[in-house]
Amino acid sequence: MAKVLVIADIKEGVLKGSTAELLSKAKAIGAQTAVVAIGSNIESLTAQLANAGSDTQYIADDASLELFSAGPWASCVVDAANQFEANLIWFGFSEGGKAMAPRVAAQLEAACATEITDIDLSGDQITVTRPAIANKIMQKVKVNTERLVAVVRAGAFEADDSISGTQNAVKLAAPQADLKAVIKELVSDASGEIDLADADIVISVGRGAKDQAGVDLVKELANDLAAGFGSSRAMVDSGIMAHNKQVGQTGKIVAPTLYMAMGISGAIQHLAGMTGSKTILAVNKDPEAPIFNVADYGIVGDLFEVVPILREEIKKIRT
Amino acid sequence: MKILTTVKKVVDVELTIHVENGAIVEDGLQYVINAWDENAVEAAVQLKENNGAQTTLVSIGSGDNTDMIRKCYAMGIDDGIHIDDSVLEKADASVFAKVLQKVYEQGDYDLVLTGKQAQDTDSGQTGIMLAEALGVACVSNVIAIEVLDDTNIKVSRLGDAGTEIVEVALPAVITVSDSINEPRLPAMRGIMMAKKKKIQVMDLAGLGTSYDEVGGGSIRSEIAEFMESKTRQAGQKFEGDAAEITAKVVDLLANEAKVF
Repeated sequence: MAKVLVIADIKEGVLKGSTAELLSKAKAIGAQTAVVAIGSNIESLTAQLANAGSDTQYIADDASLELFSAGPWASCVVDAANQFEANLIWFGFSEGGKAMAPRVAAQLEAACATEITDIDLSGDQITVTRPAIANKIMQKVKVNTERLVAVVRAGAFEADDSISGTQNAVKLAAPQADLKAVIKELVSDASGEIDLADADIVISVGRGAKDQAGVDLVKELANDLAAGFGSSRAMVDSGIMAHNKQVGQTGKIVAPTLYMAMGISGAIQHLAGMTGSKTILAVNKDPEAPIFNVADYGIVGDLFEVVPILREEIKKIRT
Repeated sequence: MKILTTVKKVVDVELTIHVENGAIVEDGLQYVINAWDENAVEAAVQLKENNGAQTTLVSIGSGDNTDMIRKCYAMGIDDGIHIDDSVLEKADASVFAKVLQKVYEQGDYDLVLTGKQAQDTDSGQTGIMLAEALGVACVSNVIAIEVLDDTNIKVSRLGDAGTEIVEVALPAVITVSDSINEPRLPAMRGIMMAKKKKIQVMDLAGLGTSYDEVGGGSIRSEIAEFMESKTRQAGQKFEGDAAEITAKVVDLLANEAKVF
């Protein structure tokens, strides 16, 4: 029987949606489930972790784990994987997951696959599906080891609210600090903002917004809709938008219910980060912009003119 | 400081890619330097210019990598090694990491710089696995590198909660994001000089190892098949009076897509 260990995705003390998505998939394939939660002051999340669908909760709660450090965090995952005898070790899609998965795989001498969108376990053979070449093709990857460490692509699996688990917390020993790579400081530029990875609606700005005034205009629409606020690479490079706002292959991969691309032409690296969205709306002055090739709805027009109308029309509909 | 950068030749992602019978159609493909590795090369050359360093690149892959390596020479890289062995065609990241380990161990390097992932696999594993194999420090997705002294650097990493400032004891493996720099266009003088420079080409035996020794005999994962990506179809595009078409689209979002 498959045994799935899911690495809990916790940000600022809050359990993120990907954890329940991965555990739901694990239950759906009939696996035994466990979760490993790593951080400082996170023990209070145990009940939530069980509700998300885990039957064992490995908790590494230590003051030294307040800031992410790939080495010690990976050690906690390896510890939990060995205690649980997990054969499938799944990370949600995050920078932490991407940094840890190859380390964990190397230490467990397991196969490693990132950005998987599906997994097949028929006939004792593990096979995963994943995109490659900037989403231009898909690969089926055959796993030759008994264990697989995988990073699951955002939006690949859906949470099933009807599943739940049982509370059975196991404390993990605090890992040794990484003395060779010491995190000195975390410069947070996202505190209190809506997390792009979790938002139901994501609105991103591109070069069409021109400057801060254009960004502010689109931000008002995002505020109206409690939407995550993202950016194209061009606006990050020009210094108007912060690095952590970038949607695309470099940056965040998002799969919200609605994605609005405002003044974004649609470079391939951006498209690779958002084409998993359920519905896409694009606003762009250029009728030939590649973004229209992936948009369900396209408005050819200047966002400075369109966005205020959009706000009014959406308000009318929502009241 | 001795820096090793790893460079991979990858398919040009801007071109259309077709799949037939589970394989990529080679006809019409073009190959280029992996963009993230080009950022790593630029980072190495900047460290050389600002702090003084000996820079070596290594590229693994069968076939002619001469143009790509000469381009890196023209950017400022001092030496190049090409591991050219067709047995590596089906290798996974774990195998590549062990090949790079062999290269590293012959060079007494202080720092390895590599792109955070390759554009053909989009895996992002090899650099981190190399650090694991070597037992050295590793920071991934780095957007800035500062040399503190002969044995320490300070890097900025884009993490989930913000930018992480990390002090790293050398030797170390650093994987870079494309946000770290804008790779230079080589100057004509550099291009001319690059043509005269030698490239060390060797197979695994020449490197003093074998496919079995780097894990090829018991490969952990392999690509079974390629498939076409499900591409989104272009939907409805509206042109004309902004007020009219915007109202129409909001109506469709609410009543057709049912997102509001």
